Amino acid sequence: MIEDWKSYEPLLIPDIPNLHKIDVYEENDGYSALRTVLNDQEKWSRTDVTNEVKAANIRGRGGAGFNAGLKWSFMPEPDDRPRYLACNGDESEPGTFKDRNIFEFNPHIFIEGALIAAYAMSVDTIYVYIRGEYIDWVHILEQAVEEAYDRGYLGKDILGKGIDIDLHVTYGAGAYICGEETGMLESLEGKRGYPRVKPPFPAQKGLWGNPTTINNIETLANVPLVINNGAEWYQSIGAEGHNGPVLYGISGHVNKPGVYEYPAGMSVEDLIYEVAGGIRGGKKLKALIPGGTSTPVLRADQLEGVSMDSNSLRDAGSMMGTAGMVVMDEDTDMVDLLWRISHFFHHESCGQCTPCREGTGWLEKVLLKIKNGEGEIKDLDLLLDVTTQMEGRTICALADAAAWPVRHTINRFRDEFEARCKKSVHAVA
Amino acid sequence: MPEVFIDNERYEFEGDQMALQFILDLGMEVPFFCYHPSMSIPANCRQCMVKAGQYIKDQETGEYELDDDGNRKIRWFPKMQTSCALKLSDGMVIQTQETSEEAERAQKDTLEFLLINHPLDCPICDQAGECPLQIQTYKYGPEGSRFEVKKVHKPKRVQLGPRVTLDAERCINCTRCVRFADEISGSKQLTIVSRGDKNYPMTAPSETFDDPYSLNTVDICPVGALTSTDFRFKARVWEMNQTPSIDITNGKGCNIDLWTRDNEVLRITPRHNSEVNDYWMPDEGRKAFEQFNNNRVSRPSVKLDGDNHSNTSWNNAIETFAEALEAHAPQELLLIGSPHASVEENYAFNKFFNLLGASTAKFIPHLISGYGDDFLITDDQAPNTNGCRLISLEETDSAGIKTAVAEAEVVIILADDLVGREALSADDLSAKYTVSLATNKTLTTRASDLVIPITCVAEHAASYVNVDGRIQRSFPAKETKYTNRRLNLEMSEGRLDRYGTNFDNWVKEEHKIDCLPAWEFLNHLADRLGLEFQYDHSRTIFAELSDQIESLRGVTYERMDDEQGVQLPIEQNEVTQA
Amino acid sequence: MAEQELAFTQEELDEIERIKAKFPTDKAATLRVLWVAQNKYGHVKPEVQNLVADTLEVPRSHVHGVASFYTQYYKEEMGKFVLDVCTCLSCQLCGGYEILHHLEDELGIKAGETTDDGLFSIQEVECLGACGYAPMLQVTNGVYANNLTKEKVDKLIENLRNGNLPEFESMVMRQNEKRKKAVS
Repeated sequence: MIEDWKSYEPLLIPDIPNLHKIDVYEENDGYSALRTVLNDQEKWSRTDVTNEVKAANIRGRGGAGFNAGLKWSFMPEPDDRPRYLACNGDESEPGTFKDRNIFEFNPHIFIEGALIAAYAMSVDTIYVYIRGEYIDWVHILEQAVEEAYDRGYLGKDILGKGIDIDLHVTYGAGAYICGEETGMLESLEGKRGYPRVKPPFPAQKGLWGNPTTINNIETLANVPLVINNGAEWYQSIGAEGHNGPVLYGISGHVNKPGVYEYPAGMSVEDLIYEVAGGIRGGKKLKALIPGGTSTPVLRADQLEGVSMDSNSLRDAGSMMGTAGMVVMDEDTDMVDLLWRISHFFHHESCGQCTPCREGTGWLEKVLLKIKNGEGEIKDLDLLLDVTTQMEGRTICALADAAAWPVRHTINRFRDEFEARCKKSVHAVA
Repeated sequence: MPEVFIDNERYEFEGDQMALQFILDLGMEVPFFCYHPSMSIPANCRQCMVKAGQYIKDQETGEYELDDDGNRKIRWFPKMQTSCALKLSDGMVIQTQETSEEAERAQKDTLEFLLINHPLDCPICDQAGECPLQIQTYKYGPEGSRFEVKKVHKPKRVQLGPRVTLDAERCINCTRCVRFADEISGSKQLTIVSRGDKNYPMTAPSETFDDPYSLNTVDICPVGALTSTDFRFKARVWEMNQTPSIDITNGKGCNIDLWTRDNEVLRITPRHNSEVNDYWMPDEGRKAFEQFNNNRVSRPSVKLDGDNHSNTSWNNAIETFAEALEAHAPQELLLIGSPHASVEENYAFNKFFNLLGASTAKFIPHLISGYGDDFLITDDQAPNTNGCRLISLEETDSAGIKTAVAEAEVVIILADDLVGREALSADDLSAKYTVSLATNKTLTTRASDLVIPITCVAEHAASYVNVDGRIQRSFPAKETKYTNRRLNLEMSEGRLDRYGTNFDNWVKEEHKIDCLPAWEFLNHLADRLGLEFQYDHSRTIFAELSDQIESLRGVTYERMDDEQGVQLPIEQNEVTQA
Repeated sequence: MAEQELAFTQEELDEIERIKAKFPTDKAATLRVLWVAQNKYGHVKPEVQNLVADTLEVPRSHVHGVASFYTQYYKEEMGKFVLDVCTCLSCQLCGGYEILHHLEDELGIKAGETTDDGLFSIQEVECLGACGYAPMLQVTNGVYANNLTKEKVDKLIENLRNGNLPEFESMVMRQNEKRKKAVS
């Protein structure tokens, strides 16, 4: 657990006014990691860069927590096909609102990270896909990209080092599923965002059938830090097995909600009570969703000594997800909450796979019945059954993401759900 | 050779193979909906779940690792696999619903999901009886339903196009129809609209699904969501007889099934033949049921004054025909064979009149240049142009035939509406004595002095040579006045034929046409004229032909049946001549 | 609206060319060109979808499928200001429904409806990625209005009636003291 967090200075979004402007970014050592790599391509071969990032173990910040460098190493050897890096800025997981801060306050660290990633994987084209609702942030990023082109960090013969990389910013139009990496690829290809069957994996057949790697925005923003300071330094930040700075999005019933940058592995209690100023109105904590809607809810009594890293959260019975923490006070109606979560997944299921298309709607409808006081105890068991029937049976993880909150919320707050159900007509002997 | 283990049996395999197709090819079953062997694999219905894993091999020795009991160790995949998209690999272990409770459970779960928003209106659904969803629910589905909340409602009775009707509530979003329009017909007229459980297939609002192959989507729809506007509510599938046949509306010779009830053809569907039409056929070919049922020539007729015809007896027809032949010298006869008639009909027709001393029959290909596509629609409007060439009828064109008619006194036409297709005019024939052997009433029969009704493809067994030189044959599907389903071994018997009583089998006489196979009529004519000409069956004619014609050596009806037609070693001369 | 009246201007066509240049296929530009069309016409009703399809030379069914998949495209005419009120998760916890119902009362319409004067539409939407600033709403697929109260909503409505859109609000990390000063 992180003890000395109070003295932590943000690395991804440091406290420097106007850092989004390229002049300010350059004044503060910006693009030095890219220069380091491109200036000495012998020392920093593509493989060396990948290995360094792999050694740093940047765990994907989009929710799955996979080692970014390892992911890069899945790209096949270059052939005559184009190669792509697709940057996922779809950020649609409820409770998550962190990547927009990078676009707004430090876009160049992301661009630099993406460039280094592109270099490491011999990628010639980078796409940044941002959710359509973030149109204002799209424009901010576009401005930064334009500056980077003007300064020769993007385009042909970057920094005169014989490397050509293009970066295109584009955006969606309202669909959570486009945050799923292959749903995003389909959307980038101008189609309905139906996730793809894997295998083949994107590294083999991604955008337009060509080798493609997908990384989250925050993940890529970590890359310049690793190059500048080394994997060992990076490993020294955060928790064992889950390193580096993390953008914690804290929302719900706290006094000071917002995005905070601290090392991975922060104590949940510190984050809620110290960083976010405690529960509103001096109320008691009831529950926490630690990393976006699809991560299982934890009761307050499950949070003792838990820290925000994948091991600790797994032991507690949940997951790190996107580190979008949703805090609930003692007055929270868990039935209402769960119904609304199920409504979300019902609304966002793309409809491709049977268990998800049908299951998400079934869950929501039964939960609505319970919420309205018309449910029966048997409905709770039905809900649990339906979650089992959905989990692990679909092309992408949306069905899992829809099933877990239902299962865990009912199991962890069963009394509340039973209390809302009609009395059983059968007398118990 | 690499090996897989399916339900505890070892099989060898070669190359890239998907588990589901491999299992189906072995004659075993795993239920599925979205998979179709001729289209891409979306794996979206999630029905074909199997439990799969891999025997663990020692990396160094290449030997299988064994557990304490000496059994091979298996590393199971963490999730159930959709077998349609599961590529076989050496040492793979697969357990289907036959041996794995988990697979059985997963399949049951998916079926439960598929059914919750399905209207379950099988009693009024055309698909009932041939519905994969219904069949697989019976076999693998849950009993009863736990779904007690409101179903999703979607558009019903939507005219998706001129020939296809959509009931979106029945749709299970397998996307077969969309993929068909994208990948097979290429019209790209369909898409899935909306999202989640509101999804259903649709055209763009300004468009209609008028794809010339649109009805194939009805065939491949695994539920009753897409139905044929023509056929809707006409018959239950179990009331019909299904008879294999050949599409005679163009030169491709798509393999088809004729679906009859009470000797009416109610619908036509494609029959799989990977050498000809795969699983598909053009919509036009399905329309042919109308010409088999309606506007038929039934009973011989003779022309009275003007255009009026009067039905007459077979005896009188034979006598009239014979008298006309006796009144003219053989060189005054003109025989016109037909690319619309079978090989056997053309052969028998030509041979008969050759015996009388007439010269070889001519024929005119029926082509519309530019009509065809690169798929199953051809410029050739007739099913047997190459068959006429095969038996060396004399190929000519409109001008040639007009000259020949002008020089003849008696014109005998086999099943070809030459006036209707403007190869001849009624005036050309007016001064001649014209005899038509015909299936349907046409402008040509109207211009004829004597009309002999003959059987159509739906009523006889006969062979046709398609544009690619493949010879394929038909079976009798409809009874005529003179045939009997129970006596004719080649005719299919439906459930009602076999088990129905007179009270629930609705066979009426009125749908039986008063006609004869062309060769049988010629038998009678031969009797009257004292010619040596007698064929008891088209099979006999074909046997004689295959002895005579080099490229038909060894070709028999049995071979055509077993091999789904036989490719003839004939010159692949494109049927392009106008 | 008759179909022949619909057309992109040369300027818009130039923009479409720039969008197409980003991708190896024209189909990939579908989402972006739908946006161009919606910004022009205020909706992407079927005839506008057709314009997009014909301009990109992609099947009309494809554009229809895409337009219907993504919720930000307006498949019918909407009010001048579309108020997308988030009621998802954090917004639910922090009073998103109160804001929604307050708006419904104030404007006399329900979510999914448009006022008679054509000025306002209200929609209940899923998470907009502003969870720390809940409850919130988005105005016509554009600017976010954060940390709403009933009073702020009333003020927002008044401003919109006067044609004043709220300005982009930078939500600086609380840790970044210097930056906060720079913004304020």
